[in-house]
Amino acid sequence: MLSLFRKTSQLVRRRDAVFGINRRNVALVYPHNPRRYYPLADDKILAKERMSALGVPVPDTLAICPTLGHVAPFVSTLTTLDNFVLKPARSSGGRGLIVVADRSPEGGWLTVSGSKLSPSELAHHTANVVYGVFSKDRADRAFAEPRIVPHPVFATLWSRGLCDIRVITLNAKPVMAMVRVPTHRSNGKANLHQGGLGLAVDLDTGRTFRALSGGKTVAVHPESKAPLLGVELPVWDEIVRIAKLAAESVPLGYLGVDLVVDESSRCWVLEINVRPGLEIQNVNGKGLGPALERVS
Amino acid sequence: MTWALLVLPVLALFIGAYKVRSFDASFKELLPEARYNVALRMNLDGHQESVRVTTFLPNTNPRQTVSAEQNNAPGLEFESELKGLSRKVSWRGSSVPNDTSVEYMFGVTSRAIHFNLEPGIPLPNSYPTSLTPYLVADEHIQVDDPQIRSKLREIGADTGSVTLRLERIYSFVSGLKVRPFKGTTDALTALRLGEASCNGKSRLLVALARAGGIPARLVGGLIMQTGERRTTHQWAEAYVAGHWVPFDTTNAHFAELPAHYLTLYYGDEVLFSHTKDINFKYHFDVETSLVPTAEAKAVLGRFNVWALFERLGLPFSLLRTVLMLPVGALVVVLFRNVIGMPTIGTFLPALIAAAATETGPLWGMLGLLIIVLCVCATRWALNSMQLLHSPTLAILLTVVTVAMLGTSMLAEQLGAAQLTRISLFPVAVLAITSERFYLLWAEEGLRDAVKQLAGTTLVILACYLVMNSLALQVLIIAFPEVLLLVIALDIYLGRWVGMRLSEYLRFRGLLKQPTPA
Repeated sequence: MLSLFRKTSQLVRRRDAVFGINRRNVALVYPHNPRRYYPLADDKILAKERMSALGVPVPDTLAICPTLGHVAPFVSTLTTLDNFVLKPARSSGGRGLIVVADRSPEGGWLTVSGSKLSPSELAHHTANVVYGVFSKDRADRAFAEPRIVPHPVFATLWSRGLCDIRVITLNAKPVMAMVRVPTHRSNGKANLHQGGLGLAVDLDTGRTFRALSGGKTVAVHPESKAPLLGVELPVWDEIVRIAKLAAESVPLGYLGVDLVVDESSRCWVLEINVRPGLEIQNVNGKGLGPALERVS
Repeated sequence: MTWALLVLPVLALFIGAYKVRSFDASFKELLPEARYNVALRMNLDGHQESVRVTTFLPNTNPRQTVSAEQNNAPGLEFESELKGLSRKVSWRGSSVPNDTSVEYMFGVTSRAIHFNLEPGIPLPNSYPTSLTPYLVADEHIQVDDPQIRSKLREIGADTGSVTLRLERIYSFVSGLKVRPFKGTTDALTALRLGEASCNGKSRLLVALARAGGIPARLVGGLIMQTGERRTTHQWAEAYVAGHWVPFDTTNAHFAELPAHYLTLYYGDEVLFSHTKDINFKYHFDVETSLVPTAEAKAVLGRFNVWALFERLGLPFSLLRTVLMLPVGALVVVLFRNVIGMPTIGTFLPALIAAAATETGPLWGMLGLLIIVLCVCATRWALNSMQLLHSPTLAILLTVVTVAMLGTSMLAEQLGAAQLTRISLFPVAVLAITSERFYLLWAEEGLRDAVKQLAGTTLVILACYLVMNSLALQVLIIAFPEVLLLVIALDIYLGRWVGMRLSEYLRFRGLLKQPTPA
């Protein structure tokens, strides 16, 4: 009887360390992120403009397509480029993202996954982006960025695209971090719900200590067999510094900052999220509760 | 927030109590009552010859009100005559074709009755001569048979007060096994076999009552329960202290009758008689809806939303839908925020469930299925054209509309009367649903779209069950201030930080006992 009670209270304690969506919204997002500032994070173009003005390193914006009328000039600007990344300004979870790796010998381009992309297909995709297909049905803008070549440490984990680093911050203090590694199963997307890997990162040392693939802990990449544990991330102090800087640049207290490190060890902030996902808890093997207490 | 949780329920209770008290009405009188829409549907093969079908239709009496009668029998002549207290009607025609349908519809409001039989009511020395027919033997009611007489003595129903006699007869007949015999069982057979269907039991009760000196008669009728009814029912009435008091030994009603009993005829009659060899079939379709009581209409005056709807000429069912929608939304909130079930849109499940109240939940599901098929077909057909989204959605809406009408037309051809009602499904709800599902598919991929569709289907069913609960409808229509409680619950859920049920599954790894390193 007593042991049952003890077990139950232990379960309740463990549960209370974990943040569900209701608690994240009521206890973290609503009090720390005033809704009127959401566009500063939700709109990647606005976020980049603001961050770059405040000295946060963000990738250049090569071209912007604000309306359906601008699709044609937008695409013709891009035809001058060998590689680029096309993004919807307000999509989330990597939706609507196209990474162009090279020109195709038969005209048009090749995407990072190896499929062909003609200018007319790109125009159609851009029009869909502008219509809001990838942005919860709101009219959106499309923009293009240079394709970032990843640092060798990340290229070892996944050679065909970008691994990104997610740092959760509360009042610009890092709370928890992970690296998201794409797989073939996730179609090259660093999305944990679509088969991507999550690597937990120790905030103090910048070393990975836990890896999760499809809900199970793993030690190596299930496809490339690259070791995932004990990996020392390059320029970790710089990553943390830039993440803090990015968090300070907006009047939003609870954020998920997404960064990448390029081949010459430079850090870039790709985007910031006002409602960062909760899967990072599963990746780290612990709830956000104690980690949040530590920084507040 | 806390103040709202406190103030809103108190306010709701206060308004409710004020209404009941200031209008000098009882709580029960303000609750709406059931209205039954009954359709008697018959089918026969006339073989191009003369045909006659005779039956009984209900009369208005102090317990039941019959209204909005509608005879729908093209090519047949309808006649009606009073036979005692019953209304005997017939449809007649010459050279009647095969597969002829006869439809007679009417509305019924009725109330339950209950008699308190004083224990000491004495057996009168004599009755008026008009009651003589209810004391003597009939063909199937063998009052004078020695076996009936001796059973009467055996159960002690031949002495004492009227109440005592009836109680003993009732308890004896109730004790007989119920068995769904087909056809007529007379009183004596029921007694000999010790088991009978409703008509055998009722005849035995009438025979014993008459033998015991209490006038009694058979009553035939319909138990009005929503849906298709192929069987009718019989019970009995005994004349006690100037009143005809009902007894139904089959369903255990002593000196009482529930509201959903519809009296069709009195006496030992056959409900349907017709020309031979016409392959005669019949059934009753019963629908139940709520209508305000006369008392409620009278006392509520300006506070009455019913009166407002009546002045505006809006149907009562619309009021019901409007008032139940917030409850449906609350159900959706529970599913999304407490259970963690993904749904397409927040209010869409409640809206679809509301739309399905006119057609039934199955047709709501079918409507949803048609939408999904339309979305699939449209995507497949338009995919190679690479159209922009707005025109695609406009085409989709057209496809949905045509599919709905097409289904109705096909249903009519096939004679599936119920299915034709699919067109009743509000096109606005369908349009929103198809658009949301299409965009969901484009945005999140098929897997997530199907997942959310499954969640939506489940939540629609839950919404339908809750929104169509008669008890809840009665409460909210009479006391719309209950919606303040709904708001209070919404506020509570709006600040509820508990883990969703689905998250226990999602974070199960974090909830497990950590293994010591």
